Amino acid sequence: MYVILVYDMGQKRVGKMLKLCRRYLNWIQNSVFEGELTEVQLKELLYEAGRIMKDDEDSLILFKNRDQKWLEKQVVGVERQSTDNFL
Amino acid sequence: MKQPKYLFNAGRMSRHDNTLKFTPVDEEGNEGQSRHLPIEQVSELYVFGSLDANSALYNFLGQHGVSVHFFNYYEHYTGSFMAREYLLAGKMQVEQTKAYLSAKKRIVVAQRLIEGAAANILRVLKYHTNRNAGRRDESIPTAIAVIEQLLMSVPGTNDVPMLMGIEGNIRQTYYSTFDTIVGETFCMDGRSKRPPQNELNALISFGNMLCYTACLSTIYHTQLNPTISFLHEPGARRYSLALDIAEIFKPILVDRLIFRMINKRQLQPSDFRAEIGGCVMKEAARKRFVQGFDELMKETIKHRSLGRSVSYRHLIKLECYKLQKHLLGVEEYRPFKAWW
Repeated sequence: MYVILVYDMGQKRVGKMLKLCRRYLNWIQNSVFEGELTEVQLKELLYEAGRIMKDDEDSLILFKNRDQKWLEKQVVGVERQSTDNFL
Repeated sequence: MKQPKYLFNAGRMSRHDNTLKFTPVDEEGNEGQSRHLPIEQVSELYVFGSLDANSALYNFLGQHGVSVHFFNYYEHYTGSFMAREYLLAGKMQVEQTKAYLSAKKRIVVAQRLIEGAAANILRVLKYHTNRNAGRRDESIPTAIAVIEQLLMSVPGTNDVPMLMGIEGNIRQTYYSTFDTIVGETFCMDGRSKRPPQNELNALISFGNMLCYTACLSTIYHTQLNPTISFLHEPGARRYSLALDIAEIFKPILVDRLIFRMINKRQLQPSDFRAEIGGCVMKEAARKRFVQGFDELMKETIKHRSLGRSVSYRHLIKLECYKLQKHLLGVEEYRPFKAWW
């Protein structure tokens, strides 16, 4: 499934969250990631995120999509980072 | 879905925060904005540019079972970094070796591989007969007839060199039709390798190599041993099973892509340059071609017996599974034949 993940964390934990998300998803903007994940990968990610987060302060929001093709992405201004496979 | 990453830019790849970080470097040595690649999404790396890396990175890639394939300046395949085998299976290995050692068993697999390759070649040619129907050019129908004739003699062969001879003839006949298919912009002028003498040959070599490495990567994720092959002679220093499997997929993956990109004018003679004694693709064209190949590999078809959509990349894996089943005596191997 194709997901967009955004989070809002306390300053102390934000770095940890960033590092965790980088392992699974493509960074596109501060606190925003997107990419293709399997069910298991998502579970792993959420489990590890849960260990970092303080439930009464931090929040994490996931937008799930069946496939990338159902997602219309529009970029206004600068695209901070592209997500393609060619570097 | 894990996907391969293609590195064209020169730069430094490093392990950072338990994932990969790529920092591009331009010709003057200035570092560009670095980008993190999610390790969980990387299936393998194809390195076309020059890459700086250290052993910490390779250790990390090894842990995650990511192979790295290297290509030199002349876009030849130079080698791969393969992580430690993680799907070791003694029984499979023994059966594979036994099948190779027994001439009787080996020839059966080799014949099937040729049948698959020829069937796919014919599929490609038949498509182009229809396209060229108006031109009153008989070369493709003639080639089809010749290949069909050659294919008939495959079951009668009893040793591999003889079979390879037939295979050579099939390929030669096949390549002779390329002039008709893309003759307006490119000329084939016979197949030449090491180095390829003209644009079309350079393109075929490059494409075949991509197909070959894709097969190698796939074999790595199965229990087959990539060095023991059936059609090609298993030599030292090469993964010849990848060559066997690639044989089946070259016509539908590589050649079709070449024809499509040329006919759509996505590749032109100006995309190539002559090098000492050969011909190579220019940087931008190479990138475009790899991009086309990557998209093609992601395309899906409805698999007839599985009844679900399957990507081209996965088809290669299915082919490995079928071969495994054959070697283990579970089910007889029937090569993949394109039906569209």
